[in-house]
Amino acid sequence: MKEKKLIEFRNIVKSFDGQIVLKGVNLDIYENEFVTLLGPSGCGKTTLLRILGGFIDADEGKIIFKGEEVNHIPPYRRELNTVFQKYALFPHLNVYENIAFGLKINKLSKDVIDQKVMKMLKLIGLEGFEGKNITLLSGGQQQRVAIARALVNEPKVLLLDEPLAALDLKLRKEMQYELKRIQQEVGITFIFVTHDQEEALTMSDKIVVMKNGEIQQVGTPQEIYNEPANRYVANFIGESNIIPGVMLKDYKVWFDDIAFECVDFGFKEKEPVDVVIRPEDIDIVSRENGKMTGEVLSVLFKGVHYEVMVETIPGTQVTVNMQVVKSHDVISADGKEKISATNFYVDLEDVKKLDDKEVVARSNAQAWNPETDDYISISKIEFDVKEEEGQYPVLFSTSGGTSIERTIFVVNQPFVSNEKANEAVMAFNFQTTVEEIKESLALDTDIKTWANAQAWKLSDESQSVDISAYYDFEPQSVTEGTYRITFSTTGRVFKIHTTDYIKEGQEVGLTFFPEDIHVMSKMVF
Amino acid sequence: MKKKKRPVLKALMILMIVFFYLPILYMIVFSFNDGKSLTAFTGFSLRWYQHMLETGGMLEALYTTFSVAVIASVVSTAVGTFTAIGLSKSKKIIRDLMEQVDNLPMMNPEIVTAIGLMLLFITFRVEKGYMTMLLSHIAFCIPYVILSVMPKIRSLDPDLADAAMDLGATPWQALIKVIIPQIMPGIVSGGLIAFTMSVDDFIISYFVTGGGVKNLSIMVYTMSRRINPSINAASTLMIGIITIVLVTINLVPLLAAKKQKSMKAGKKILIPAAAVCACAAGCILFFRFGDMQGKRPFEGQILHIYNWGEYTGENIIGDFEEYTGAKVIMENYDSNEQMYIKVANEEPYDILVPSDYMIQRLIAEGYLQKLDQSKLNCMDKLSDAVKGLPYDPQNEYSIPYFWGTVGIVYDKNKVDLESLEQEGYNIFLNEKYQGDIYLYDSERDSFMMALKALGYSMNTENPKELSEAYEWLAGCVKTMKPEIVTDEIIDNMAQGRRALGLMYSGDAAYVVSENENMGFYLPKSGTNLWSDAMVIPRNAKNPELAHAFINFACDYEGAYDNSSYVGYTSANQEVMEVLSGPGGDFEGINAYIPRTGYGLDEVFVYNEKTRKEISNMWSRVKIVASNAN
Amino acid sequence: MVIIMKKFSQMAIPYIVWSVLMLVLPMALIAFYSITQQGNSIISFSITLEHYIKFFTDADFLIILWRSLWIAFKTTIICLLIGYPVAYYISHCKERMQNILVFCITMPMWINMLVRTYAWIGLLSKDGLMQKLLSLLGLGNAELLYTEGAVLLGMVYNFLPFMILQINTTLCKMDDSLLEASADLGADPVQTFYRVTLPLSIPGVINGITLVFLPAVSSFFIPKLLGGGKYFLIGNVIENQFITVGEWNFGSAISMIIAVIMMVLMMCVHKAEVRNNGGKGET
Repeated sequence: MKEKKLIEFRNIVKSFDGQIVLKGVNLDIYENEFVTLLGPSGCGKTTLLRILGGFIDADEGKIIFKGEEVNHIPPYRRELNTVFQKYALFPHLNVYENIAFGLKINKLSKDVIDQKVMKMLKLIGLEGFEGKNITLLSGGQQQRVAIARALVNEPKVLLLDEPLAALDLKLRKEMQYELKRIQQEVGITFIFVTHDQEEALTMSDKIVVMKNGEIQQVGTPQEIYNEPANRYVANFIGESNIIPGVMLKDYKVWFDDIAFECVDFGFKEKEPVDVVIRPEDIDIVSRENGKMTGEVLSVLFKGVHYEVMVETIPGTQVTVNMQVVKSHDVISADGKEKISATNFYVDLEDVKKLDDKEVVARSNAQAWNPETDDYISISKIEFDVKEEEGQYPVLFSTSGGTSIERTIFVVNQPFVSNEKANEAVMAFNFQTTVEEIKESLALDTDIKTWANAQAWKLSDESQSVDISAYYDFEPQSVTEGTYRITFSTTGRVFKIHTTDYIKEGQEVGLTFFPEDIHVMSKMVF
Repeated sequence: MKKKKRPVLKALMILMIVFFYLPILYMIVFSFNDGKSLTAFTGFSLRWYQHMLETGGMLEALYTTFSVAVIASVVSTAVGTFTAIGLSKSKKIIRDLMEQVDNLPMMNPEIVTAIGLMLLFITFRVEKGYMTMLLSHIAFCIPYVILSVMPKIRSLDPDLADAAMDLGATPWQALIKVIIPQIMPGIVSGGLIAFTMSVDDFIISYFVTGGGVKNLSIMVYTMSRRINPSINAASTLMIGIITIVLVTINLVPLLAAKKQKSMKAGKKILIPAAAVCACAAGCILFFRFGDMQGKRPFEGQILHIYNWGEYTGENIIGDFEEYTGAKVIMENYDSNEQMYIKVANEEPYDILVPSDYMIQRLIAEGYLQKLDQSKLNCMDKLSDAVKGLPYDPQNEYSIPYFWGTVGIVYDKNKVDLESLEQEGYNIFLNEKYQGDIYLYDSERDSFMMALKALGYSMNTENPKELSEAYEWLAGCVKTMKPEIVTDEIIDNMAQGRRALGLMYSGDAAYVVSENENMGFYLPKSGTNLWSDAMVIPRNAKNPELAHAFINFACDYEGAYDNSSYVGYTSANQEVMEVLSGPGGDFEGINAYIPRTGYGLDEVFVYNEKTRKEISNMWSRVKIVASNAN
Repeated sequence: MVIIMKKFSQMAIPYIVWSVLMLVLPMALIAFYSITQQGNSIISFSITLEHYIKFFTDADFLIILWRSLWIAFKTTIICLLIGYPVAYYISHCKERMQNILVFCITMPMWINMLVRTYAWIGLLSKDGLMQKLLSLLGLGNAELLYTEGAVLLGMVYNFLPFMILQINTTLCKMDDSLLEASADLGADPVQTFYRVTLPLSIPGVINGITLVFLPAVSSFFIPKLLGGGKYFLIGNVIENQFITVGEWNFGSAISMIIAVIMMVLMMCVHKAEVRNNGGKGET
């Protein structure tokens, strides 16, 4: 198929308002190919297409079409046509006139135009619609007219700018086949822009994966899927388990404390790499037969298969005390106002960040009218906390004069860090009441707030990590006393697609073939 | 796509901006002109602003313009918004029907709407004035507000109100807290359109106003015949106010956005809107001051005068107000007929200044009340020539104000006195002066000229003579291509723009005093010896005050101010002598002293039948003139 | 929700009453006056068509009516010819510039129409700036004020912004991708303009025409201020009937005539628009 180069992009650079959208793109497109530009919105794929269409100029670089530079040729002289994202059909013309537009511009004779339009209508399966008002067509029909309008001019290349984005799922699937069929029938190059990886895999001869104005990988759908060039491509195309590892030597990769056989070579020794294993390539076996072992965290039914999550390395944990105390709300003399709050702990480092809002949230302070249950706003919060360890009073009062005093404990809380998993967890002891626990709508979230539990990446403190709270009391029957609460991050989890059902909580073994391990170079950020 | 430079279009754009702003700039510049001319800038001065402030009417008009605009736009915005919301929830038939009704003021020529409203107020005997103007403005503003709010409501998520109510809001709260903020941009732009329409309106205001209530448009319209640079001053003031309003509206959101980017859209609009309202309120307050003074005989009373345009001196009104403590509301007309219609329509005035024949008509039709001679002290001061004239032989109803004749003003360089003496009025048929003459747009004086030229009495009832006169005039307008003008003749003749013009002696006096090349000639075939006098209508609300004004205007001070400013001959004997005497403003100007005791000069006599005929024939003459172009 | 709908819909009721009083009744009164005799009252009147007969049998009135329509037509055409390119230019500017230009064009509309028209008197009068400019250009010392040209100029000056803004709005609303699609299909900018931009902007043009033609036909202060006393249009005739002659019934009849003519014309224009755009049902 790859005979003749049709289009060459040479070092295309483009920026809008100082923001670089394309960072020197090089790409060859051959005759008769179905090429997909794939990437998330903002990756520059549409810009590249519009540069090719001639609607915008590249700042630098050359576009070569059939061996000739076309940078300065206006769109109406380029031998390519575009199907626009929202079709851009002319509302003042009917179906026939829309399709005939380009032909009329080229001053073809009436009978030739007639013939060509009719042929096109047949190709897109809209015979008999020629007199229809364009605005009365359905989305799929408009889509077809837009394609016909472009194809009737017999361009060398058809550009399609996310043409299926506006259609619903079922119609989109249909149009994918339709487009592929049309491309094969007319035998010209299609350049298709999409952010939908499945669409790209289904239709393309060649996929170009883009990110932040750069091409990440160019290849057939199989190559892209099976041999992703890097973590980004692997993530974008299909679901993957991506694990950091080290290439020990050719055909030997180390990850999760184990060295594995693989088929990859050509990396430097001890080079840090990313390892990809597709979920469908992992088999669940008994503990003894597994190359790795772990615990089944969850099983989700997905129709054709189950999606099983297996934790091979546990996450980082920290355990704190929860002191459940008697309610000690303050009631005003006339019984019209009730106010409650609890003591709380705060880290030395966070004292600076304490403001009224934060103090109210952390102490869970609230005031209400016990008769009507209407909330009363807390109008005054007085506290004076110094940046050293110790206990400080805080006073909450309503405008009605009811007030309650509590203590802020400033502590220098150590955190638990886990170098291997690149994360750290921290939480505080806290105080609460039976009522609070019983009335909580989302207890886990509340507990995290009360304990001020947090976890973050060691490499980047601003990046937070999800944590879960584990405890062994029944919220509805809790009594006063001290309880232990463990906060834990998720450890190394493998996603596995399997047709066999497995029970949650079971200890299992995992196995895979050396050729299922794909080693990629680490991405440079 | 590549941005192409479009030099031709850009030039056109620049030209357009110049086109739009040139007149405005021109006007601003000339509002600071020292001289009276609109074409020659003679030096910087603020005298026209001072004049504007002193005359009072201008500020009053500005106040009316803006107070009506503010109230009308606020009311119509509120009503329009609620109506639009209401309509959007109404049945389709009602909605469609209301859409048609709303289209009425927009799809009808404005003059038709105006006349409809005028007929409405007259038919239901609503006294025309500020209230009727305000109601009319609200009436034509609401459809624009609805038109601007409706699309916003249509594009609203229909579940919004339901969602709000689902969350516990009452319908009213849902409306105020959810729907209104969502459609705020539409409401604001609707309000702005309403404000613009109201400030801009002339036609509707012109037809529905009364009782001397004028907005700036009406003021300009009634004063535009004679050059009066205080119009420029008032307009500049108005442009200033509008600019401040616009800049506030457009800049405040920008500044606010810079200061606080997170501010909500609704608030962004509310703040400048509030600022505008505050501005407007400030203006109104500013204009309202000034009504507060001490104790005087007529403190707080109001005198409604209906007078010719530019027919009072610069100070007399202010002095009278100062002296009596009363407030004068002056309304102007430019023909007796125009005045008659309003009077016949029972609009209440305290003083009118009609001409001789019109006084006769008003007396005959019972529209005037007899003057209380015991309250008048002026008869002795008046010239004998203006006392006891046939229309009111005993001066029971009227006290003369100005008097004079009608004659020919000519350019001494183009016309020699000899041929003027030979031809008399027939010089207006001399093709030598084709396209170089002015006729005055007055039916009685035009016919007077024609009848006198033909040697008939100007009070003739003979249909044959009248139709001959018509032919004379029709021939004149067909062959001579004259301009038929009203007061603009004064400034134009003063600048010598035409060789010949038929003018009142008083205007001629001004012209001749301004331009020594001009002369005034009274044809030997006779002329109209006219006089305008003050009368009190039967339905006057304050005859007491009206008598006081008559005395004041006849007194030396008042009469001097009037006559020296307007240029018409005063009825006050002493004033006339002083002004025409040595050192007087009109020394040596023959036009100032009317010709008396000449046999062929006549005073107009009212005759209903001939009046109608002449009126019809004159409007035909004008149409013939208009179609002759 | 039905109850709530009703509650909201009740808010329209006061205005419905109001609009019957202030919008419908006045029109009915004009119609009523136009077919009754002078001096009749609402209680006792006799119906007559004499006012209509008087108007239509008098060549002079018909000439004036024709002249009013003709000058309004000329005004509209000039506004269209100038307004379209200007609006086109504005719509192709950057957004910031667009806002500034639209503001520049709207701004004079805030200043009273009469004031703006009055301003032209000084510019056009003898020895005024315009005449000096013309004689500098060697175009002689032509009389400017009180001519038909002055009236036309005044009308264009007053009504052009409506045309520009209307067309500009439609041009700005137009989807850029339609223009790109046209270029993509081989149409050069000129072809794109004639085949896509122009047909799609027709609704704006129609609105502009309506907003210019309507006030131009019935305008009476522009001819009075800039045309002098000898330039009569139908608006002046109506004003005259009401303000100086006092024949309200005849004046009402003329108003009715002009209202009906306008309505018919506007209906024709909108029909044409519908045929041009939406009428593409089945071939």
